[in-house]
Parts: sequence; structure tokens; C-alpha cells
Amino acid sequence: MSMLLEVSGVSVTFDGFRAINNLSINFAEAELRAIIGPNGAGKTTFMDIVTGKTKPDEGKVIWGEKNISLLGLSESQIAMEGIGRKFQKPTVFEDQTVRQNLAMALKNPRGPFAVLLHKKTERNAARIDAIADEIGLTESLTRRAGELSHGQKQWLEIGMLLAQEPRLLLVDEPAAGMTVEEREKTTDILRKAAQTRAVVVVEHDMEFVRRLDCKVTVLHEGAVLAEGSLDHVTSNQTVVDVYLGRGHA
Amino acid sequence: MAPGCTKRFDPSRKPVFMRRFLVAIALFFCALTPVQAEDLQRILQAHAEEVANPSRRSVGVVLDDLVTSGLAQVPGFLENWADKNVWRSPDRLFFLGDVAGDVIEVTDLDSGETRSAPRAGFTQLKPNGGVRRLIGTALVQFQLADPDITRRESAVAAIARRPEAAQLAPLIASIDTETDERLRARKVQLANFLSARFAEAPQDRIDAIQSLAQDTSVEARSVLNQILQTEAGVGAAEPEGNIARLLDPMEAPDAYYAQLVEAGLAPARTGPAVIRAALEAHIDAGTVGGVPLAQLGTDAARERAYAALSKAGAVPPLVTEDTRDYALNTYVFYELYDEPNAEITAAAEAALASVEQRVAFAQAADLALDGLSLASIYFLAAIGLAITFGVMGVINMAHGEFIMMGAYTGYVVQLFVPDYTLSIMIALPLAFAVTFGAGVTMERLVIRHLYHRPLETLLATFGISIALQQLAKNIFGTQARPLTSPDWLDGAWVISDVVQISFIRIAIFVLALLFLALILFVLKRTRLGLEVRAVTQNPGMAASMGINPDRINMLTFGLGSGIAGIAGVAIGLYAKVTSEMGADYIVQSFMTVVVGGVGNVWGTLAGASLIGFLQKGIEWLNPSNTLAAQTYMILFIILFIQFRPKGIVALKGRAAAD
Amino acid sequence: MRKSFISQNPSVLWFLLALSLFTLGVVMLSEVTGSNVISTSFVKTLGKTLCLCLVAIAMDVVWGYCGILSLGHFAFFGIGGYAIGMWLMYARTEAIVMDSLQAQVIPPTPQEISDAIGNQIFGVVGSSEFPLIWAFADGLFLQLLMVVLVPGVLALVFGWLAFRSRVTGVYLSILTQAMTLALSLYLFQNDSGLRGNNGLSGLQNIPGFEDTPQATISIVFFLASAVALGAGYVFFAWVVSGKMGSVIKGVRDNEARVRFLGYHVESYKLFVFTITAIISGIAGALYYPQAGIINPGEIAPIASIYLAVWVAIGGRGRLYGAVIGAAFVSLLSSWFTGGGAPDVNLGIYTIQWTDWWLVLLGVSFVAVTLFFPKGIGGLFDYLVRKPS
Repeated sequence: MSMLLEVSGVSVTFDGFRAINNLSINFAEAELRAIIGPNGAGKTTFMDIVTGKTKPDEGKVIWGEKNISLLGLSESQIAMEGIGRKFQKPTVFEDQTVRQNLAMALKNPRGPFAVLLHKKTERNAARIDAIADEIGLTESLTRRAGELSHGQKQWLEIGMLLAQEPRLLLVDEPAAGMTVEEREKTTDILRKAAQTRAVVVVEHDMEFVRRLDCKVTVLHEGAVLAEGSLDHVTSNQTVVDVYLGRGHA
Repeated sequence: MAPGCTKRFDPSRKPVFMRRFLVAIALFFCALTPVQAEDLQRILQAHAEEVANPSRRSVGVVLDDLVTSGLAQVPGFLENWADKNVWRSPDRLFFLGDVAGDVIEVTDLDSGETRSAPRAGFTQLKPNGGVRRLIGTALVQFQLADPDITRRESAVAAIARRPEAAQLAPLIASIDTETDERLRARKVQLANFLSARFAEAPQDRIDAIQSLAQDTSVEARSVLNQILQTEAGVGAAEPEGNIARLLDPMEAPDAYYAQLVEAGLAPARTGPAVIRAALEAHIDAGTVGGVPLAQLGTDAARERAYAALSKAGAVPPLVTEDTRDYALNTYVFYELYDEPNAEITAAAEAALASVEQRVAFAQAADLALDGLSLASIYFLAAIGLAITFGVMGVINMAHGEFIMMGAYTGYVVQLFVPDYTLSIMIALPLAFAVTFGAGVTMERLVIRHLYHRPLETLLATFGISIALQQLAKNIFGTQARPLTSPDWLDGAWVISDVVQISFIRIAIFVLALLFLALILFVLKRTRLGLEVRAVTQNPGMAASMGINPDRINMLTFGLGSGIAGIAGVAIGLYAKVTSEMGADYIVQSFMTVVVGGVGNVWGTLAGASLIGFLQKGIEWLNPSNTLAAQTYMILFIILFIQFRPKGIVALKGRAAAD
Repeated sequence: MRKSFISQNPSVLWFLLALSLFTLGVVMLSEVTGSNVISTSFVKTLGKTLCLCLVAIAMDVVWGYCGILSLGHFAFFGIGGYAIGMWLMYARTEAIVMDSLQAQVIPPTPQEISDAIGNQIFGVVGSSEFPLIWAFADGLFLQLLMVVLVPGVLALVFGWLAFRSRVTGVYLSILTQAMTLALSLYLFQNDSGLRGNNGLSGLQNIPGFEDTPQATISIVFFLASAVALGAGYVFFAWVVSGKMGSVIKGVRDNEARVRFLGYHVESYKLFVFTITAIISGIAGALYYPQAGIINPGEIAPIASIYLAVWVAIGGRGRLYGAVIGAAFVSLLSSWFTGGGAPDVNLGIYTIQWTDWWLVLLGVSFVAVTLFFPKGIGGLFDYLVRKPS
């Protein structure tokens, strides 16, 4: 089966510190995957590389059926290729309404002139409504995003990612700072999203990962330490030593 | 003179030609002296008319005889003659005379006896300017050997001012007896200059010219240039003589044609103005040469009309470009050396080329020194900014006004402390204190509230900047105020005629070095520096470790501002103190910081060096236009940022991201 | 179902209404109608103020909406002024030269005319040659094109260089300031081809309208400025209210997020930078015929900073804020510096506002930044508390 994203042999160094060390990792179409690992394991750097924010020193990042290398593309081009990214901190445009936030993210021509002459259409409106419904923000469409609660902002950001209609969704710690109910809802949104696309969740919280119930990759010192179901990796002694051995299971 | 000169003219390896000259001179003296061994009055009487009414033409014989007589009285007489102190008695004898009313005190020229006589009948000798100059030249020969060193020096200076062939022999003769080391070297150098131009034997001249190839002084170059003087000429064929070069008239046809016209070899060009005047002079019933006036609005029509006129014989024929080119090709344009001997000019050309190469090197060295001092100034101006920008991420638009404040502090101190050395000693720490205080106040009142809003800090500090600038204007007025440097900083360190650097610039360089060392010391070796670095890298963590970021920010800002104050005193010393002086440096300071890379002392140093040297380099390429130099420098910096957006010394990795 | 742009943005309507009333009022009270309440020179001041408002709106879009603190937009304004000034000066000098040459018996050749004009214009800098940049100065249409093209191309090239290397924030501000400084230093040179520090003068004389009184010309320019301001306001309001506005505000608030949404941020910045530069150029082209003279001092970096000051005092991120700021501060400034403000006698010291105005401006600017970051325009929020 052909892979959606193949990362192979990637390394990156910051001032002598090897953040990513010969990392190889693959994602299939319509897959839900969790990436876990202790602090400094290279999770965020990995996402930076895939989304084009950081250029690796060596290695390959191959995307899609046409086997495009992502390394030569800019952040916006990668996003247009179909990779969406959610940041650790919720980053929505607080000054604008939820509707404007979603409208901006909707998959539409991205050039300045197309945007300048953009006309609001029924179809777009319907899509916004659908996504708002999916993330549970229908009531808040006209509110300023800055007025939303922390959890709502997270959902809005995920909604914006969905509006982009990406084939791969990279989600960085979606559950941080959420209440239990909010986490459940987040899990639902992500699981549903993963039915039609690949969703990669970087997470710290084991409970949350367990609830996602998916294949888990453990990163350590910039490389893959173990891969498999959560139960499989948690039974791995090395994983327990580097990560779980710290008293959490 | 610099020690280099004595080295070049080491007497122990005195050139052959000089010895030959000395011998010749000695023989000359020996041969002539016995014949004329008489007293001064006799010689004068032999040329009585020439002495009494000298002209530039006739006086030469008298002077020659006087000089060759070797009489001890001659120099004194010559001086008095030139000073119009010589009188002629009724019995046609010459005396030194001193008039007091109706009485004249006369002194015998040979015996020195003095007597008084009635003034009537005595006539004063009044040689004209030209004659006096010749007398002066003759005198120089005596003064060269005068026991009084100041007179010898002034004689040597006189030769240097107005070199003449006649001075060569006496100058060389005086070298051996010269006791003063420096003066002797100077004499040898001058003798070289003179023999290069005036020596009899061509080989002597060539030897002297070749020895000048080492000498980059302006004098030596002018000697060579004088030997190489040319005159432009034009003729039907190549002329006889020492041709410097043949010229291609087609390089500037009009200029060369003008030369032809001036030489009377060709008719003048009929330019548009001439044509126009000719046409106006020949208007005939609304037409000129058959062309209606209204049609004369084009060059073609005018030429047609002119051609018609010239056909009718009313005007000279039109000199077209073809006629011009034909004429130019018929004649030979050349430059002829004034010096007929080709070997000598060739030697001089070679020597000049070598000198010019040395001068170019020296100029490069001079340029480098200029660049260094400019870099020092930029470093001083920018380092305070770099600290506040790098450590706190705060851009301080009022930084330039802190520089100004420092300079005005120096000015005010000088109002109260008249001793310049002392006043500068007081001004430096005081300027630091004043601007440190101003900086801390500004940080407390304004900047503290605007952290994490860099653009607004920029604007708020700009508001402070215009307020401070206007305030300075209101207090000190708009005219420039002096900040006088102490005497020992006046003048320059002269390395050669080409390379020199003023002491103030050296002092600024030293000051810049001191501050570099001081800042490095503070940042790397002190508790404050440690805390500053900690706050720079991670304010949150630093705070949790008991460092008070507020205090650190305040101190950092004060430090940066204080250094600006000191930079202000330094800049004020060599530039004028005005309320706008800060604004003159602020953009360059920003450039320095940005180009160097933020948050790094070495980066600022690199930035200041780059900008300083670059600016001097561009000014050198286009010396007439410092505005253009600055324009190009800024363009360069804009392009530079394209390739190194984070500056020369860039921080890498996560710390640098966003 | 879509509502019209105007009805979605009622403030635009209010603004246009206020502008029309103001314009009408000034025209009624001017010398043209014979009422003579407002002198011709004050009409010019008001007309110039409208142009400043226009460039302030442009500045507000690029800074307040897109987050690029450009310290170069007044340079674009000046370039527009120079571009129109070249034609004004050329055409007027040509008319004068033709007049004087007419007296001669033989009609002048094109070369003679060009030499005479060149001599008139460049005599002050010791030249009579027309530099290459004057190639289009003899045609109004082409030179009008230059008003738009030169600032536009300059902004495009500079912006492309700056944005593609991801120069942002304070760095970008300094870089734009450097560009402005380079430009003004260049223009100060005698061989810049634009008469060095003499600048271009006599611009208030419009060729072909020599016999029209200045009172009429001033009103025409005043009206033109008002129309330009109105059109510019509507245009920018349209730009920032739609999806474009969403994106550029996004760029201001979180550039990285916009980038990861798939927008090529640099293109948007370049678009905004260039379009505002063009509008600034147009504003300058309307301003300088009313000012009568332009010289390199007008382009100095400080002018662009003042522009930022106006926008900040008026209130960033709202177009009417920029208009209020520019009008308020520039009129107040000419009132204070023109000696209109009465001196304040403190007994021991008399405050003369010609000397102290800049101090006041500087301090009040700091105060606005510290205490009223929303500027004067922010006051409207208290007046119009609409439920959102």
C-alpha cells in the first residue's frame, strides 16, 4: 500500500543539538496516529519539518501519489498540498468572528487577487455551517474568536484545519488545558476526521491517547523508539524506561 | 621629517654624481679666487653702473663676480643691497648708509669704518623686485653655510620654495659641512630634486630621478611632474623633439578641431549659433537663401538655407562633420616633452609610475585608517543601541538624542571648566551619568509598559526623540556649539605625505576598543552580565531563579543609554554639537546593529566595521559626492539583508526562530 | 441574500456624508463664491490636509491592518509629487520659453527649445541637459502614469526583496526607513536630475490655466483632493472589509497561522505594500500642486514617521481614525507652528508655541501610545456601543 507521507533518514541540528536523528516514519491514507514521547523527543520539530517551517540537514520527505518532495516547498505551498497543522497553543484570529476564521480557512483559491475579488457563495456558507456544526460552534459563528473559551478555540482551530480539507492533519497537543468533557468531544472530532484523511496527533496525555485508540509511535531523542498499539508500546521495556518509568502509566 | 628620509639618503652611500660635483665646484673656486683677490669696493667699482642701476639682465655678472670673489663681506653686502641700505657717495663710491635727518651715517664696505656725512649728494640704491630676488638667490648660497642654523634652515626652505639651477652647486657644497643631521638629510634630498631637474650631465639627472622612485612626498612627485611637463601641439607631420605621445583626434573630434582652429590650420566650425546668426543677417523678403522663414524651425532646413547662402558667396562654406574629420586626419596631434632628452623623460616616467604605485598603496592604507576611525564611531554610536535592542528587544529611536545629550553635557562642562583636558575628564563620566539617568527614567516611565509591543515602543521612543530634540533647540539654540578638544588631541599623526590620521580619531578608536573590552567584561565576567544573559535567553526562567528582570532591564537600558552619552562626547569632539546630531547617526546605528546581527557585541563590531569601511570605500570611488556614497551604502545594506536577514553574526536554531 | 458592501459598512456612508458636507461648506465659504470667509491660502491648506488624510489611510491599511510599520510611505507620497511636478515644471517652462523664442525672427528648432527649457530648469544645478528620467515629462498622460508606476514599481521591488527574505517587525521598519533615507539623500544630490535641494518649484501654476485665478485653481484642487480621498476611502474600506481584510488582519495578528492555512503571506504583504504606495503617490501628486514646491526635505525619514504618528494618534485599524489623526495633527501643527496659538506667560518664562509645539507633540504622542493605544478613533467606540 502506498504511503501518503514518507519521512526517511531525516536529521536536523540546532547549534550542535541533534533535535531529529535519522528519523524515518510513514503515514497511510485515512489513518489516525498518535505520536508520543518525552520532552525534547523532537515531536514539534518533526511537525516543523513536515510543514516546511524547518529545513532538515539531511533526509527525504516524500508526499502523495506523485511522490513530491516537500523539502523544496514553502509553508503555504505545503499547506496547499493538503497538510494542515494545529499549533500547541490555540492560534485563531481573535480579532475576527468565528465565521471569518472559518471562511479564511475554507478551501478556495489562495492568490491575493482571487481573494480580493472573492464573492460570498451559498456553497461556502453551507460548508461553514457544516463545519461549525461538526465542532459545535454553530451558536458562536458571529462571535469574536477572542471571546471563545480555551476549548472552543481549540475546536475552532481544528475546524479551520478541516475547512482546509487537508489529506493530512497534524495536531499538536489538542487536549492540553481541556476539561474532561471537552476532551471527549475533541476525541470524537478527531476520530471522525480520521475516517476520511490521515490525522496525526502529538500528545503528552496518555489517557487521551488511549481514548483515541489508534497506532502509536514513540519518539525518543529524535528517532522512533517503538511503534504499535498503545498496549504494545507500553509493554516495551525501553519505552517504559525512557518515558513511562517516570511514574505515569 | 620622518626617519625614513634619512634612511633613504644615507650619506655613506652618497651618489657618485655628487662627489663629481663637489670636485668640480672646488676646482671652480680654486681657479677663480686668486685672480679676483681684491676688496669689495673694487669689484663693485668694476661694475659701477650695473650696481647703481641694476636690471635683472645685467645684475647677473655682478652677482657672479661677487660670489666667486669669496669675500667674507659679500653676504652682508648682498643683504644690505637687497634691503636698500647701500648708498652711493658723491665720489661714486658705495657705502652702507643710515639716514638720520640731514645726516647720513656711512660705513665702509671693506673696513667697516663709520663716519657721518651730510646727506646731500648721497644716492640710495633701490634695486627692483626682480633684482632683489636674484640677489636673494645669490645670498642663499652663503646662508647655506651660515653658522646660524635658523638661517641655514630658511635658506634650504627658500630653495625648496623656488628651486633654481644655480642653487645646485652651492647646495651640494654645503652638504659636507652641514652639522645638523636632519638638515643635512633635507639638503641631500633637495640636492637630489635639483639635480634631477638641473644637473649638467644626463646620467647624473637619471641617477637622481631614479633615486626619486622611492620618494612618495608631494615634492618629489612635483619634481618628476615638472620634468615630464608636456605641451600639446599639432602639425602636418610628426615634429622633431622628444615626443611624449601621439594623440588620436577621433577620441574627442570637436576639442581637437578647436585646437586646429586655434592654430589657424582650419576654418572655425559652423555651429548652430553661427548658422543662426548668419541666417538672421541675410533675411531677404521673408526668406533666407530661398527658404521661407517659417520653415527654418529644423536643423535640416537651416543647413539648406545656409548652403544656399554660401553658394551665393554670402557666407563661408559650411564646415560639416566630414570636413572636420578630413582635417583632423590630415594633421598629427601630439604632446611634446619640454625636456628634450628622451632617456631622462623615460627614466622620469618610470620613476613616477613607481612612485604612484607607492602612493596608491599609501592611499589604501590611509583609506583603511579612515575606515577604521569611522567604524569606531559607528561602533560607539551603535553599541548602546545593540545592547538595548539585543537584550530587551526594544528599539530606541531616542538613542540618537542620548548621543546629543552626551555631547551637550560636554559642552556645558566646558562652560564651567575652562581647562580642556580636565573638562573632558569630567565630561565623560558625567555624560554617562546624565544619559544613564535619562535612560533609566525613560525605561521606568515608558518602555516598561510597552514590552512585547516593539512597534509601539519604536513610536513612543520616537515621540521622546522629537521632544528631546526640540527641547535641546529651545535650550541651546539652533547654531552649532563647540566641544573643544584639549591641545594634545589637536594635530595628526603624520606617517607620510599621504598617510596621516588625526589624534582625535585615534582617541576615538582607543575609546571604542576600551568600550568593547568593558562591555565584553561586563557581559561575560560579572554577575550583572550573567543575569543580563539569563534574562535575554529566558526571562521566565531567570525570574524564577531569583533574578529580577525589571531591575536587569532597567540597568541594561541605563547602560546602553550611558554609552550613547559617552559616544556623544567623542563624536562632539570632532564634529559640531547640534540638536540634530543624534538624528545624523541614528539610521547608521540601526544599520550597524541590523547588519551585525542582533544580540551580539561581536556582531555590532562586525557591522560597524563593514559599514565604516564600506562607506569610506564608496567615498573613495566617488570622492566628490558623499551623499551618493551614503545612498549606495544604504542600497548595499538593503541587499545585504536579503542574503543574511539575521545579520553577519546570526544566532542559529530555536533561539533565533521568531 | 448578500447585503451590499455599503450597507455592511455604514461607517463608509457616514464618512462620505461628512466629507461631502465639509467640501460643500468650504466651497460655499471660499473666495470663489464671493463670500471670502475662507482665504485661498486656507483652502489650499485644507486641500493639502485632505491629501494627507489620503496618505494616512494608506498608511493605516499597511500598518494598522497588515501590521507592516512602513517608514517609507511618505517617500512614495513625495515620489508622486515629484512625478507630477516634473510635468508641471516642464510644461510651464516650455510655455515661457516658447513665448520668449517667439520674438525671434527665425523659428526655433526642437533642439533649441529643449536646450532653452533645460537651461531654465537645470540652470540652478549648473546643467542644461535633460536627464533620462525626464523622458516622459513633456506628456501629461505619460507623466500621470509615472505618478502611479514609479511608487508602485519601487514598492514592488523593495517589498519583494524585503518580504521574501522574511524581514519583519522592527527590522522591516528600519529597512523601510533606510530606503527613505537613501531616496532623500539621492534627491539631495545636484546630479540626481531633479534639481538637488532646490527641488521643483512653481508647481501652483498650472500650464494652460495661467489666466485662471489661484482662488479657482485652489478650489478645483480642493475638490479633486476631496474626490480622491472619498474614492480612496471607499476603495480601502472595500479591500479591508472582505476576505482580503480577513487575510491581511490575519497576517498582522499571526503570520505563521496564515501561512499554514496555505496563504502565500509574502504576496499579500506585497499587494498591500504596493497598492498603498500607489495611493500614496496619487495623494502626493494632488498635494504638491497645492503646496507649490517640493524638495528632498519633504521625503526625509522624519516625514514618514510623522505619518505613523498621525495614524497612531487617530487610531490604527480604522480608516476614519487615520483621517481624523492626519487632519487633527497636521492642522493643529500648522496652527501652532504658524504662530496661531497664543503664547503662554508663566511669569518667569513665556512659552512660545513655535518653539514648544514639537515638545508637546512628542510628549502627547508618548501619552497616546501609553494610555490610548486606540487613539482618538477609539473614542467612537464609547459613543457607538453597538452590540456585536
